[in-house]
Amino acid sequence: MEGAEQWKVQVEQLKVHMEHWLEQGLELVHQIPPIQLYVGVAVLLFTTLLLLLTRLFNRRKSNIILLSGLSGSGKTVLFYQLRDGSSHQGTVTSMEPNEGTFVLHSEITKKDKLKPVHLVDVPGHSRLRAKLDEFLPQAAGVVFVVDALDFLPNCRAASEYLYDILTNASVVKKKIPVLILCNKADKVTAHTKEFINKQMEKEIDKLRVSRSAISDADISNDFTLGVPGKAFSFTQCHNKVTVAEASGLKGEVSEVEQFIRENV
Amino acid sequence: MLEQLLIFTRGGLILWTCKELGNALKGSPIDTLIRSCLLEERSGAASYNYDAPGAAYTLKWTFHNELGLVFVAVYQRILHLLYVDDLLAMVKQGFSEIYDPKRMVYDDFDETFRQLRMEAEARASELKRSKQVAMKPVNNARKQGQDQKTGFGENKKSNSGLADVGDAERTKSHQLENGYSNGNRVIESKLTAVVNGKENASSNVGAFDVNKLQKLRSKGGKKTDTVVNKGSKEESKKKVTKKNRVWDDKPVEAKLDFTDPVGENGENNIEVLAADQGQSMMDKEEVFSSDSEDEEDEEGSQGSKLEAKKKGWFSSMFQSISGKASLDKADLEPALKALKDRLMTKNVAEEIAEKLCESVAASLEGKKLASFTRISSTVQNAMEEALVRILTPRRSIDILRDVHTAQEQKKPYVVVFVGVNGVGKSTNLAKVAYWLLQHKVSVMMAACDTFRSGAVEQLRTHARRLQIPIFEKGYEKDPAIVAKEAIQEASRNGSEVVLVDTAGRMQDNEPLMRALSKLINLNSPDLVLFVGEALVGNDAVDQLSKFNQKLADLSTSPNPRLIDGILLTKFDTIDDKVGAALSMVYISGAPVMFVGCGQSYTDLKKLNVKSIVKTLIK
Repeated sequence: MEGAEQWKVQVEQLKVHMEHWLEQGLELVHQIPPIQLYVGVAVLLFTTLLLLLTRLFNRRKSNIILLSGLSGSGKTVLFYQLRDGSSHQGTVTSMEPNEGTFVLHSEITKKDKLKPVHLVDVPGHSRLRAKLDEFLPQAAGVVFVVDALDFLPNCRAASEYLYDILTNASVVKKKIPVLILCNKADKVTAHTKEFINKQMEKEIDKLRVSRSAISDADISNDFTLGVPGKAFSFTQCHNKVTVAEASGLKGEVSEVEQFIRENV
Repeated sequence: MLEQLLIFTRGGLILWTCKELGNALKGSPIDTLIRSCLLEERSGAASYNYDAPGAAYTLKWTFHNELGLVFVAVYQRILHLLYVDDLLAMVKQGFSEIYDPKRMVYDDFDETFRQLRMEAEARASELKRSKQVAMKPVNNARKQGQDQKTGFGENKKSNSGLADVGDAERTKSHQLENGYSNGNRVIESKLTAVVNGKENASSNVGAFDVNKLQKLRSKGGKKTDTVVNKGSKEESKKKVTKKNRVWDDKPVEAKLDFTDPVGENGENNIEVLAADQGQSMMDKEEVFSSDSEDEEDEEGSQGSKLEAKKKGWFSSMFQSISGKASLDKADLEPALKALKDRLMTKNVAEEIAEKLCESVAASLEGKKLASFTRISSTVQNAMEEALVRILTPRRSIDILRDVHTAQEQKKPYVVVFVGVNGVGKSTNLAKVAYWLLQHKVSVMMAACDTFRSGAVEQLRTHARRLQIPIFEKGYEKDPAIVAKEAIQEASRNGSEVVLVDTAGRMQDNEPLMRALSKLINLNSPDLVLFVGEALVGNDAVDQLSKFNQKLADLSTSPNPRLIDGILLTKFDTIDDKVGAALSMVYISGAPVMFVGCGQSYTDLKKLNVKSIVKTLIK
């Protein structure tokens, strides 16, 4: 009982103190001209509102489209094809990502205003793959470029890369759509997209077995693909995986543009 | 003549090529340069040699880091164009003036380039003339020394013409390229004289002395070896039973001696319990406490803060707020020096630390310092990025996947373990076998160490504990043949993986390296795994480069097998001195596939790139 009473006294004292402070504070406020006060409050409110709005706006819709794929599959050409409508004087192996926010070249002439796309061309060299992880969480879509001409020797490496993308945490969680783009389809000896689709599914099916054996140790692969006990197909993925053909050098990129428009 | 000159962005878009030169390059030297040189943090080097069928180019390059441009000049190797460096520098300056990120076509640069080239050529020829006059006496003096030289070098020199300008440095580097250095040649010729006197041998001056010296050395080595062996044998005779030491805070272990007692019925009847020590660490996820990492970061930044303080608090503060115009070499020097020292204290080989710093400097020079950053932190970030890039494997290290592929082709997957003596080849072979067994892969061991006594027995013990078949043919057999028979046996009995143990050998031991090369060429294994200890310092470079070189030189096939992967052993003994991993990966380009980190079968891990980089940088 005594303890409670003491506590009560303390509270009373605190109350007195508080009232005192409040009076002092009010006095101070009264000293400041009211216009200044209003302006200050207005500025404060405005900035917080602006920050909140921008944050909200950014989160709702990202417009980043990633171009990924093995080195030499034609990502950089595709990037410039989409941006400028030409591959200029050719390309060499990229050492850094190409980035740009722009309205697609083919859509510049259109009357209706379209939202610009933020396109990122991530180098395919395996030493630079780590860069992809930086962009994936914000991506609205991933274009995985495959060299249709030189497909078979690179099938395994390409599938492994695609497997890493498809099992990436943010791709699975956010269901980022993936477009497998068979580039260089204008060449006579290029493989068809159906063939490439089937081969990659087969390869990923095998990868599933060997990777799940070591996935505990591998930090990058957090998810398993497909339905266990069934042959893997891209339709089993939670995110949308489609296959398309294109030719970067010839400028036949309509299917990519369509994909980009669907997701931005 | 110059073959080609290209200007492209780091993103990979070609901005300008010299149409005038217009020669079609054979192969793809530029892509190769980027992939195997610039992206491997070797851009600090002066030039890169590209070999393709029918083409031998030398490539030189320079960066414009602020604009993100790369300038590459390609010329025939036999021509030693002196003006290339000069020309590149001029082109860089000229082009950066007209460069605009939005512009893609620079046709007007053709004219500028023509002028620059003429200027550079003129300057080079002038330089040549003036130098020739000045250096004549030196040249003469050298000529005397060169009398004994093989005709080849001289031919080459007169061929190249341009190279023979008397510029001492140039000639030296030219000779170095040919595999000799001037100093060496003098010694060489002296040696010939001595040895010729002793045993009037070999008129062939070029190819002799090193081999002989090595033979002599290896003979000496063998002698000492046998002496040591005798000593140890005697020792082992008087066997003293030792009491188990009891360490302070560990529970008393019942039995340290795991060797199976040899029964009267002989070894064969001994019952062996299959070794099962739980999951191999390869399969365990590592959990890193983020706290400790943060702490490390703080420490690191404190260190750099101290550094910054030395330079004057105010100026550095001002610099960090405003952002410096552009970094030049002098700015980077102190930070790089500190970083290099830090790398070297982490046991990174000196040569490699040096090269890395050069490459980082090349990638930063001319770059704009962002506001609110210090030079030291910028350098550190660049280095961190570079390290991650180096340590990230270039090829897939998913062995199980490879095994499945081999299985489909009805072939056993063959792994050969190579390395110097005593690094733990057999022990880690057993660990790999254990790990494979856990993944339901049938394994067979092949005891191809037919050299060191006890090696076969050691492997047999492991095989018995793991209950896997072992292929052995005793000692004094040709290991290449033993391996071949083992692989045949494996395909007969359906083993999926053959792990081939080889004898340890020093990288300089020619006969043994020849034997290894034969083994690898004869059996063409799917994986050549170099086993190296994490304790090694500067020698890591020597070991790996010599192993690779010997495998390439001694091979008979046109495209020889080199080291595909690295197994790093004794990783538990080195605390934070993890530099050997970096040295090995950098020098060989092969990824670290396994890390051995203890004495039991489960102590096999994957390399965690992030933690290694953290440790190296801190």
